[in-house]
Amino acid sequence: MKSIIFSSVLLLHIGCTIAQEFKLDASYEYLYSGQWDKAIQTYNVSRPFLTEKQPLLMNGLNTSISYVFKNEKHLKHGINVSYAYFQSSAENENFNNILQLHFINLGYILHYENKEKSKGLYSDLIISATSSGLFRRINENHFVYDETTSKAFGIGGDICLKAGYCLTLKNNYFLSPFISIGYTPYLYSPNSEAVINQTKELTSKNWTGILRTQIGLTFHLKPQQND
Amino acid sequence: MNRRQFIKQSTLLSIGGLLIPSALLAACRKETLFEDVTYDGKVIIIGAGAAGLYAAYMLKSKGIDFQLLEASSTYGGRLGKLTGFANFPIDTGAQWLHGKNSILGDLIKKSKTNITLDDSETKFWFNNQLIDALPQNTNIFEGEELPDISYEAYALQNGLGNEYKYIIENIAGDQGAAASRLSVYGNNKDEENWASGDDDFKFEETYFDLIDKQIASQVKDQILVNTIITKIDYSQSEIILTDSNNNTFNANKVIITVPISILKSGDIQFIPALPIEKTTAFSKIGMDAGMKVFLKFSNRFFDQNIIGGAVCAAYADDSIGKAQNDNILLAFIMGEQAEYLTSLGSDAAITSALIQELDIMYNGQASASFIASHVENWTTNPFVKGAYSYSTIGMGDARKIASESLSEKLYFAGEAMNTNGHHQTVHGAVETGYREVINILTDIKK
Repeated sequence: MKSIIFSSVLLLHIGCTIAQEFKLDASYEYLYSGQWDKAIQTYNVSRPFLTEKQPLLMNGLNTSISYVFKNEKHLKHGINVSYAYFQSSAENENFNNILQLHFINLGYILHYENKEKSKGLYSDLIISATSSGLFRRINENHFVYDETTSKAFGIGGDICLKAGYCLTLKNNYFLSPFISIGYTPYLYSPNSEAVINQTKELTSKNWTGILRTQIGLTFHLKPQQND
Repeated sequence: MNRRQFIKQSTLLSIGGLLIPSALLAACRKETLFEDVTYDGKVIIIGAGAAGLYAAYMLKSKGIDFQLLEASSTYGGRLGKLTGFANFPIDTGAQWLHGKNSILGDLIKKSKTNITLDDSETKFWFNNQLIDALPQNTNIFEGEELPDISYEAYALQNGLGNEYKYIIENIAGDQGAAASRLSVYGNNKDEENWASGDDDFKFEETYFDLIDKQIASQVKDQILVNTIITKIDYSQSEIILTDSNNNTFNANKVIITVPISILKSGDIQFIPALPIEKTTAFSKIGMDAGMKVFLKFSNRFFDQNIIGGAVCAAYADDSIGKAQNDNILLAFIMGEQAEYLTSLGSDAAITSALIQELDIMYNGQASASFIASHVENWTTNPFVKGAYSYSTIGMGDARKIASESLSEKLYFAGEAMNTNGHHQTVHGAVETGYREVINILTDIKK
């Protein structure tokens, strides 16, 4: 236990020494996926016996952590990990259907901030590998058939542009409201329609493109502020 | 503009640039397809089987005028219910729910319909004895790069000799086909799209009850039975349908859900004639003979499943999953075996052939305890003419071509028209029913 604590402290110290900035985001995320929309719309239109319709997967929460390496230039780089969660729930008599969608992104971040000119404005370009997991719950339980949980995993690439405005909280601590727009041109998720509409390639393709926007807050820790 | 104004305006523009399109996009995104589509025309559905009934249910939910025309004296198509023969209701047609991950799986949950996993045990009739396991693996029909040859030929290529003939007939029979006609490649491609699950379930009541209570009950008043459509004239803007009594029906769009055997046999005349590629596609989709015989005994001398008989390759205890347990053995007969038994000419002869085979398997116990039989021969039903569709050798994309709509007037549904691997099944038929309603709505929206 002692060695774990010691290692963690050491890593944090090293991290702070070489880091320009740590960033922790929390945001509302709006998602648009044509293929998933189509599958849910088909699910809704094809089941007249369900009066309460399944909402589209569009509103979610996102959180991410970024680590920007120390650099004296305006353009810095780092790494970013993010997690997003979306849910769609429709409650009908004897049939409460919930779709749960998770995203995990691991990306490379380019951070631009010109302190002299922009006075706190900054922008990030994040290029990530993205993975998704789509699950279905019926009546509070994971939907299981053939003794396996109904699920669809996906993999793809994502590009995201983010802009924020930094407000000083105290010394090395900052808070910034931000907005971002992201695009996943290709997310290969061949089983999604089977989870949503219980068919394969009847109504949609085995991949989808995703467009998303975010609005949220970032907490910044800038351990070594020389200016 | 000073720097502060610039920053302020840039921020506002950025937020506006993102949020306003998002809000607009959200407003355009509807939960259901075709929420605003209305239609003044009339849709006629030919065939009140699972596909036709579900298409009607969908049209009703969208407020579209429709009528169902059914050739036989009742609705349900290849679903049927027999009462009074045993102390539980019997499925004379489709019986097993193939996987819970389907639209009907949802309906079953919603309606709290009782189903039971069929995990009954199997014995094999092999080299004139009943055994628990076969000497060789027969699970050879799935994988990559399988050839487009018959199950029978592929089994022989893989060392499953003549002693496995009726074991292979049973495997092909599950697909409604003779082993000599079912394509290894084609069927494997179908399996790749299968999404509903591999477990099979039985209904405590019957499959017919589910469709009757949950779907047919919604549209019963629009079904016209004993209406055998013989001609469809779609040469004018209004389609004219003529039945065997020379009655005519007018419609703007027609959904044809009759079995593929009916389309293949030319029982319906189309004016103008269907394109050659369409009729060729019909001819490539297989549909073999099929029958179900229910044998009632005073003793339960039989095993839960008996696979590999020369007269019937698949027997099954029909009381599995039922609330009561009369001794009913189902003989599930497909392909060449069904053709042979049909050729015997009478229900009595068919029953006798089956009892003789069971007597050999169980040392005369079948004839000693036999009480009665019920033969449901789907092959001799003039509005069905077989079991269900299967993938033939060299079939290619025949299902896709066969299922394409014509001139925004004729739409094709039914299990054989399912292009996503769920053909042969009731839930697959239902999927084509709603698919064609979606196609109609799409055409209307144009």
